[in-house]
Amino acid sequence: MVDPIFDYQFRLILIGDSTVGKSSLLKYFTDGKFAELSDPTVGVDFFARIIEVQDGTRIKLQLWDTAGQERFRSITKSYYRNSVGALLVYDVCNRSSFEHIPLWMMEAKRHIEPHRPVFALVGCKVDLVGTDNKNGARREVSCEEARMFAEENGLHHVETSAKTGQNVEQAFILVAQEVYNRIQTGEYKVEDGWDGIKTGFNRPNGMDFNLLEAETVQSTCC
Amino acid sequence: MPSSDSDDFESADEGRSSPNKRERKKRLSSSNYSDNFESDHEPQKSEDQLSTKLKEATTLSNKLDNAEDGWDDFDIDNEAIETSKIVPEKTISALKPESKANTDEAQSGWDDFDDWGDNDNSDNIQDTQPEQPLNNQQQTSTAKHPDQPKSDGWGWGWGVDSILSTATAGISTLTTQVSQGISTVLETGIGAPDPEELAKKSVKTHESNPNSTESKPTESEEKKFEPSVNDSSFQFGNLLSGVTKFVESTGTKVIAGGLDTLETIGKKTMEVLQEGDPGLAKKKALLGLDTDKPVLSQVLREAKAKADEEDLMREAKREAKEVHYETLFDDYEGLVHLEALEMLSRQLRMRIDERLRAAPPDKRLDIKETLQQVAELCEMPEEDDEDEDEEQISEDMSKPDALHERLQRATRDIGLKLQFQPLIKQYTEILTWLESMDSDTTIKAIYKKSVSGLAQTTALSMELYHKTAEMLLVKNRRSTADEADALTQLTVVLTKHISELATQFTEKLSSHPSEDKEQVNNYITNVFLEAGNSSKYIENAFQLTLPIIQIGAV
Repeated sequence: MVDPIFDYQFRLILIGDSTVGKSSLLKYFTDGKFAELSDPTVGVDFFARIIEVQDGTRIKLQLWDTAGQERFRSITKSYYRNSVGALLVYDVCNRSSFEHIPLWMMEAKRHIEPHRPVFALVGCKVDLVGTDNKNGARREVSCEEARMFAEENGLHHVETSAKTGQNVEQAFILVAQEVYNRIQTGEYKVEDGWDGIKTGFNRPNGMDFNLLEAETVQSTCC
Repeated sequence: MPSSDSDDFESADEGRSSPNKRERKKRLSSSNYSDNFESDHEPQKSEDQLSTKLKEATTLSNKLDNAEDGWDDFDIDNEAIETSKIVPEKTISALKPESKANTDEAQSGWDDFDDWGDNDNSDNIQDTQPEQPLNNQQQTSTAKHPDQPKSDGWGWGWGVDSILSTATAGISTLTTQVSQGISTVLETGIGAPDPEELAKKSVKTHESNPNSTESKPTESEEKKFEPSVNDSSFQFGNLLSGVTKFVESTGTKVIAGGLDTLETIGKKTMEVLQEGDPGLAKKKALLGLDTDKPVLSQVLREAKAKADEEDLMREAKREAKEVHYETLFDDYEGLVHLEALEMLSRQLRMRIDERLRAAPPDKRLDIKETLQQVAELCEMPEEDDEDEDEEQISEDMSKPDALHERLQRATRDIGLKLQFQPLIKQYTEILTWLESMDSDTTIKAIYKKSVSGLAQTTALSMELYHKTAEMLLVKNRRSTADEADALTQLTVVLTKHISELATQFTEKLSSHPSEDKEQVNNYITNVFLEAGNSSKYIENAFQLTLPIIQIGAV
């Protein structure tokens, strides 16, 4: 698990009803794999991946995959605060998951305050739509109405498939780029006591130099 | 550069309002200066075996007016400075008296030469030599004092035309340098005087200087003496070269001395300026006066060196990260689990406080007691508390299985299905690595594995506590005492596991046939240090679960 150098770390949180595909989306994004079966998330799980934004700045995305199940709701609320971005995830084949999006958004806004996160509206499971109607999968949320909702609320919108990988990357890069842009314009700052954005070289205790010295000593000896 | 600084204006006015007072003061202080100046230059003079004469001359010094007259040039400069100061009205008051004082100093320093020349020129030829540089000054002075008996001096002096011109050139150079120097001081120091004005003045000085011999009254004098000159000039003709040399060297000395003086003036001026203007350094920096312009190649070289260094640092950092416990701990997601647990713990603590506030006063004490009891249950047992379960674990069980068994037993009453597999799997992997070690494995490799192994074990433990806390919160039926006991036992097992790991790693390190025992010891110390670190993290995580256990009881 080698972790190369990065310039910033953004903390993004994925929220949405259970079984819409948050964990699968993350699994594909970080592993490039699709799991046919997966256990429901307990509380929160973590994923991480380094990407590059347009000017080549390396960003480590620390992704908080929350449990969608109702019983974890009170727990997951505790985790919102330190996020700089939130992906509102719904299943294009599940109408109610889309209808709950405004609630998820309100909840996120309330708990992330006073910070204003970057939101993205992410539709999942587009691979189920279309060709194979025998499985009973049917699009219940049109791309247009999702787009309209996104525009009304100033969100980015993207439809993805964790099975084919369609737009998975874009969904995260979209948010990362927007966060980065807001850093550039000065809207977002690295703040003590808030972990939404961190600088990459700020490793705890900054002990790198001590170790460097140790290394040098060693190389002269051997 | 019109300075809008009103302070400057004020102080400038101030300076002019009481010039006499200041002048006097400065003269007093400058006399000290000139004393030093004289004594500094005395050795030089004695080299010329003139010291006695000089002293005589000094005492005799007909302090007449020759000093003043001889230094007409300086006066001009002085005026030039003053005019230039007045014209732009920007100079700082301190400068005026100071520069004047310094010029005075120069003058008094130069009195010696004047006197010296005067007295000596009648005595002998050797001694007349120094007269030459002064002669041109003398000429001007004679213009004002035609009565002075100068005939023989003038006689040959005039004849030695070349000498005179050399001397004059020397002096004029000096004067020019003095004026330039002063103007430089002014320019760099204050940046105030109008350059045009300065230029005009300096041109004037240039014109008047080489021609100081030709200034009208002098010219007439010279003409008067012309007839009597020829004989003596023949007489001393052969001395010309020697004389010229001397004059040259004197000129050099004069210049050198003058430059020293200038340096002193400059330094002093800057001191005074800085005293009067504490922000000067800042201003200078702002105006870029201090920055010596770097050469392009130099810049490029430095840039390259910097880039190389950065590359090296990056590489070194990458390398260092491999054995940096905290970084590894972060990479294994231990840190984020710990953070999440902290967030959870904080929120639960708040919720408990809320409940405490909301409870009726008579119940509040009960709640507090319950909280305290739970906290006591969660205290770590004494070190020497030998666990009896330990004995019951079969000897022929593999180490990972034994660990799994211990973890299971510790948490059997918690009422949750905890995931120990990641820990077991990781332990198995570490053991396999240690067994597959051969003689080629370096101590550094072992050390790396130790640190990363400990970091990963700790990270997995963080995840275990975090997940356990989350599951406890969604558990339907809480059993506080069991939960507290289970988590305490779990903590004991995990910390023991950590120290066992550390022991296994350090055993491998100390049994390594490495020559570098010191390095081995360093590594061993570090491994134990990180093991201690790991145990702290684990105990800390355990304490963070306390509010989560407590909330089940209240």
